[in-house]
Amino acid sequence: MSCALYLRLQNVGMRFGEGVVALDSLDLSIAEREFVTIVGPSGCGKSTLLYLVGGFLKPTAGILTLRGNPIVGPGADRGIVFQRYSLFPWLTVRRNISYGLEELGVPRIERDRIVAEHVRLVHLEGFEDRYPRELSGGMQQRVALAQTLVCQPDILLMDEPFGALDAQTRRILQDELRRIWLRDTKTVLFVTHDVEEAVALGTRIVVMSTRPGRVKEVIRREFDVSDGEDFEANPQFSALKLRIWHSVKKEVEAVRR
Amino acid sequence: MKIVPLLLVVMLWQAASMSGLLPAAVLPSFFAVVVALLSLVKSGQIFPHTAASFLRAGTGLLIGTVCGTAVGLAMARFRPVQRAVEPILLSIYPVPKPALIPLFMVWLGIGDLSKITVIALSCLVPVMVSAFNGARSVDEILLWSARARGTTEYRLWWRVVLPAALPQVATGVRAAIAIALIVMVSSEFISAEHGLGYLIFTYGGVGADNAMMAVVLYLTAIGFLIDRAYVAGLRRLMAWHAFAH
Amino acid sequence: MHSRTETIAPFLQHTLPIGALLLCWELVARTGLVNPYVFPPVSAIVIRLFGLFGNGAVYVPLESTVWRAVVGLCAAIVVGAPLGLLMGRARWAQWFFEPLFSFFFPLPKIALVPLYVHLFGLFSFSKVMLIFTDCLFPIVIFTYHGARGVSPTYLWSAQARGTGRVRMFWRVVLPLSLASLYDGIQVAVVVAILVAVVSEMVAGGSGLGHAMMLAFRYGDVRSAFAFLVTISLVGFLLYKAVQLLRDRLLFWHVAES
Repeated sequence: MSCALYLRLQNVGMRFGEGVVALDSLDLSIAEREFVTIVGPSGCGKSTLLYLVGGFLKPTAGILTLRGNPIVGPGADRGIVFQRYSLFPWLTVRRNISYGLEELGVPRIERDRIVAEHVRLVHLEGFEDRYPRELSGGMQQRVALAQTLVCQPDILLMDEPFGALDAQTRRILQDELRRIWLRDTKTVLFVTHDVEEAVALGTRIVVMSTRPGRVKEVIRREFDVSDGEDFEANPQFSALKLRIWHSVKKEVEAVRR
Repeated sequence: MKIVPLLLVVMLWQAASMSGLLPAAVLPSFFAVVVALLSLVKSGQIFPHTAASFLRAGTGLLIGTVCGTAVGLAMARFRPVQRAVEPILLSIYPVPKPALIPLFMVWLGIGDLSKITVIALSCLVPVMVSAFNGARSVDEILLWSARARGTTEYRLWWRVVLPAALPQVATGVRAAIAIALIVMVSSEFISAEHGLGYLIFTYGGVGADNAMMAVVLYLTAIGFLIDRAYVAGLRRLMAWHAFAH
Repeated sequence: MHSRTETIAPFLQHTLPIGALLLCWELVARTGLVNPYVFPPVSAIVIRLFGLFGNGAVYVPLESTVWRAVVGLCAAIVVGAPLGLLMGRARWAQWFFEPLFSFFFPLPKIALVPLYVHLFGLFSFSKVMLIFTDCLFPIVIFTYHGARGVSPTYLWSAQARGTGRVRMFWRVVLPLSLASLYDGIQVAVVVAILVAVVSEMVAGGSGLGHAMMLAFRYGDVRSAFAFLVTISLVGFLLYKAVQLLRDRLLFWHVAES
């Protein structure tokens, strides 16, 4: 049974230095095993929101709780996948993935087993002994995903993880992520500026207002999406995408005025 | 390919010597120098001096590197350490380190200790600066990524900052090696009983130019090989880094 | 406009650690924990320093050292800058000289003191020659890389405006290489003082290095320290002078990022 208040943000505000208010009076609740995507105009603070949940920043107002416990700092219970540069360049793929397990003190044999399992999960067999600089962007993100999943976080945070990749690779990785999520049903908080990606992946889509960021609206995706699907041919998909796109566009225009 | 210009210079040298343009009293011919070097090698004379020199330089370099890295990292980690050390560092900077040799000989005697200390001090500075800069320029995302995978603040420095700063430290060490050699030779000119600098100085003093040049040539070759070996070793050890040397 | 407190604080921050260190030194020297002849208190050194400047004993060696350093440095610039430029623009010059400089770079040139004394005598000339040799390397290397690194876009746009090869050199390559040359000079000025002092320490003659060695030999550690301080000050001042002149001489230069 899922707990509706798995992740809770109450009246969260974030002010940086000289009056830059990134977030203001933000309320959001996420249930367990949800895949929540967050979209919004540039600068709306969606990444800031993610970093607050991750514990890398401290809110200037409000509270964040995960499973009822306040979030006080970073930790392995909140895994994060960044857009790039989150792999340790001096470690091989294998060592990067096993890093979290080493920090948790998992014994060697167990570690090797888990690492092998995750290498298979992200389809990187044969690349275990390569260094990050030898991998393509897409492969690096697969490693980033694997190295985060091994820690079995309570919630998976993703900051525009496919933003730096080309359209094809992005699509492939989106399908893979969906596949992994369906297998494991983790709780995911996924930030993106790409509305199509938000609809394709999210079971609930959060639209943020322009700065100072607030939750503008939250829309549940009532239909299922399958791998390799042609989104254009799906009228429900197109309708939802259009609806969200308009919502975001209004926010963008609000700034211009 | 790269060796041809060097060969050309050597041939020019030899030709000048043989033609009488360059009298032996001014500069011995290249062949004479090579012969002298070979005899030094054959007799085994040169090896204890080589060992003495490089033992001093190596020890000083090691101490300087380890201390420099530790202090540099500490400076990056603790603001008070940076505030305390940085001004002192800037004041030490304009002091030509070989000029400290006689002072340290007064304090620590004329033996190896004073030389090693000055070498260590000289090497400490560039490595410290590199370590400090390297530690400070570690991408924030790497630190966040590590923390989100259960790394405590304490372990962060050992598992993330140090490896991330290593390429920059390695560059600092390369400069430190050159400095170590300079201070090593200087110290042996000023006062020594063994060492390559001692040989050069003594041979020069008695007018044994062939032998003196032989040791200079020998030192040049070793210096070159050490630098090359260091860069090659770096490329292998840090294969993960795109060293575009 | 900085308020008084804003400028005082960093100044204090900068001098306080040095002051503290000097104070410790003074106290340790005075308590008799160490032999005061070997470890003179700071105050005694300062007094001796003023004494040397007062009775004029420092001026002759100071002048010798600085003169040698400057002459050697200028000679290195006169020879090294054109050589570096040539290497940067002419293939054959690069092919010939680059390996030579690479090979001899790791040799501690100080090892050549006995050779140079043999070739050029015991007095100033041999020292100037050594300074010249040592300074040549950074100047050539910096100028070479500067001339080589002239961005092709500059050359192409000049070519498009009908600039011939010779004029190209004068109007485009030279000014852009000057900045790199100046970087080389900044490095070389430190080298010049260092080599001047060390060669004087080894080979004698007038000069601060020799004066310092003499002081040590006579057991006059205070004077030796005073000379050491003078040497450091000279090096520091020359370096600063070159650094400050940079903005005036290279006023036209815009740093390329």
